[in-house]
Amino acid sequence: MNKIDTVFNKLRLANRTAFIPFISIGDPDIKTSLEIAKTLINNGADMIELGFPFSDPMADGKVIQKSYERALKNTISMQDAFDFIKRLKAYRDIPVIFFTYYNPVFVLGSKFAGGAYNAGVDGVLIVDLPPEESGEFTNYIKKRDIYQIFLLAPTTNTPRIKYVLSYAKGFVYYVSVTGVTGARGTLPMSIRSEVEEIKKISQIPVGIGFGISSKEQVKEISKYADAVIIGSKIIQFIENNINDKSKILKEIAEFSSNIKSSLS
Amino acid sequence: MKYPDRMGHFGDYGGRYISETLMPAIIELEEFYKKIREDKDFKKEFNYYLKNYVGRPSPLYYAERLSDVYKSEIYLKREDLNHTGAHKINNTIGQALLAVKMGKKRIIAETGAGQHGVATATVCALFDLECEIFMGKKDVERQKQNVFRMELLGAKVNPVESGSQTLKDAMNEALRDWITNVRTTYYMIGTVAGPHPYPQIVRDFQSVIGKEVLKQIKKLPDIMIACIGGGSNAIGLFYPFLKYDKVKMYGVEAGGFGIQTGLHAASISGGKPGVLHGNKTYLLQDEFGRITEAHSIAAGLDYPGVGPEHSYFADKKRIIFDSVTDLEAVSAFQMLCKLEGIIPALESAHAIAYLEKIKKEIKGKSVIINLSGRGDKDMHTVSDYLLDI
Repeated sequence: MNKIDTVFNKLRLANRTAFIPFISIGDPDIKTSLEIAKTLINNGADMIELGFPFSDPMADGKVIQKSYERALKNTISMQDAFDFIKRLKAYRDIPVIFFTYYNPVFVLGSKFAGGAYNAGVDGVLIVDLPPEESGEFTNYIKKRDIYQIFLLAPTTNTPRIKYVLSYAKGFVYYVSVTGVTGARGTLPMSIRSEVEEIKKISQIPVGIGFGISSKEQVKEISKYADAVIIGSKIIQFIENNINDKSKILKEIAEFSSNIKSSLS
Repeated sequence: MKYPDRMGHFGDYGGRYISETLMPAIIELEEFYKKIREDKDFKKEFNYYLKNYVGRPSPLYYAERLSDVYKSEIYLKREDLNHTGAHKINNTIGQALLAVKMGKKRIIAETGAGQHGVATATVCALFDLECEIFMGKKDVERQKQNVFRMELLGAKVNPVESGSQTLKDAMNEALRDWITNVRTTYYMIGTVAGPHPYPQIVRDFQSVIGKEVLKQIKKLPDIMIACIGGGSNAIGLFYPFLKYDKVKMYGVEAGGFGIQTGLHAASISGGKPGVLHGNKTYLLQDEFGRITEAHSIAAGLDYPGVGPEHSYFADKKRIIFDSVTDLEAVSAFQMLCKLEGIIPALESAHAIAYLEKIKKEIKGKSVIINLSGRGDKDMHTVSDYLLDI
């Protein structure tokens, strides 16, 4: 069984919502980002989403764009990313969701799947690869126990929700705002009804991400969602304290345990 | 087989590689466009503005002195005589009419040199649409005059400070804006790239170039030449002729300092297939699949990708892709000024420069070149370049 399923099954029994933090591999450098990932695990992460830095992150807001730019100063290859994941998995074997744009995967082709599998990747989220274009990638990962994670957005209508869900495995990622990634003070009121609509169609766990930044938001969302995904807010701690590694780790630890304690 | 197919693929290329938030808007656009594409009233309206506002048909001019030099029969399709000075306006008129019919009141667009930005700002003024242009900060600095033109026309120009601060980053930022404002906003892409149906829409609107040429000629030409950035002027000229196997087509990419230096914008001659900005196509990229910066003296060719239809015909060898360097383009620029009294855009000068490369082949043959734009915008660039030599 894929580890993503195992964790969601366990949490479901305990009636709890998963905390999935997101960071970029190599921001501000490989060593520090590995420590950040471990800190997140030690402070309540149930799974972790790891971004592969890309030159043209079209779906990302300023914070993640800058994070990728910092990471790309030390050219990070796919192999570096796989080594990173291997080391993290050796530390603690929680599900890893690999977040990327399609081109770095496409240039490797089926070699990507072998590398990702050996590194211990459980799910791959390719933000610019909708189900319509996913055939090639499905072919790459076939026979490997790797899930492709699909997204739903506030703009997705009901027939299309059904269509996307027919491809979904592990969990479906509901994009809470019409926009790019990045922390927002307020989230749309419609999230709850949208998630309820998804749940009417499928049993698959629903994770909510984009824009989430506060304990209050998390508390509200955990009433109906199976996972909350937080990226920009965590990465902001890196940007704010770029020359003070211990402060980065301390603030991220505090923030994560706060989030964890707000999840029901 | 007609391309693109139902899913927007040109063989292995094209498609729609975009985030889920945009998929519904893209599907809406596709369905709307499918209906309107064959609509008589829409065509009539489009043709009305092309004739009365743009000044079409543009002449097919027999370049006598140039022909003498190359001992061949050379015709220039004078897109430089269009309103706003280039072929870009053909597409923006069409897309603006489409946006109005879809009920969208806000238009966004990316621009490199500013030509598509100016063409977009122009039609937004014409049709009373709100207009925001995304332009790399570096381009804003080197194309001040076009920034001013866009502002005069009522557009808001947003300098983009992320990444390499050039056209590809402007397109990233336009996509981010679209993801955020997709319900109210129409994204007016300037070339035959992006997610399906854009490559098809832009090709259809630009095909007016080739369709006019078909009416203007007495016999089929032996050779056609056009410059290639994203490839909209080229496909516009070539598309109606693709079915005539005996017409040979050359797409001339921007060789910059030379392909071997790595400083160029020749995605097909010097890149490999990949996925960016919603489509699969030839791209300039490093071994890890990250997009690299393009270089060309012609800002309008300075893009690390190319339209997917070109990638398809490159593999099929129906269109032959090659490149000329900055230096060769500037020499051709000077030559056309002196021989014909026509100052071409630096982009179009790439197509002219290719004559020299195939001078043996064209002897005694008829050649049609797309003179896609005029060179007024390039005065500073050319004078700086000549001072540096």
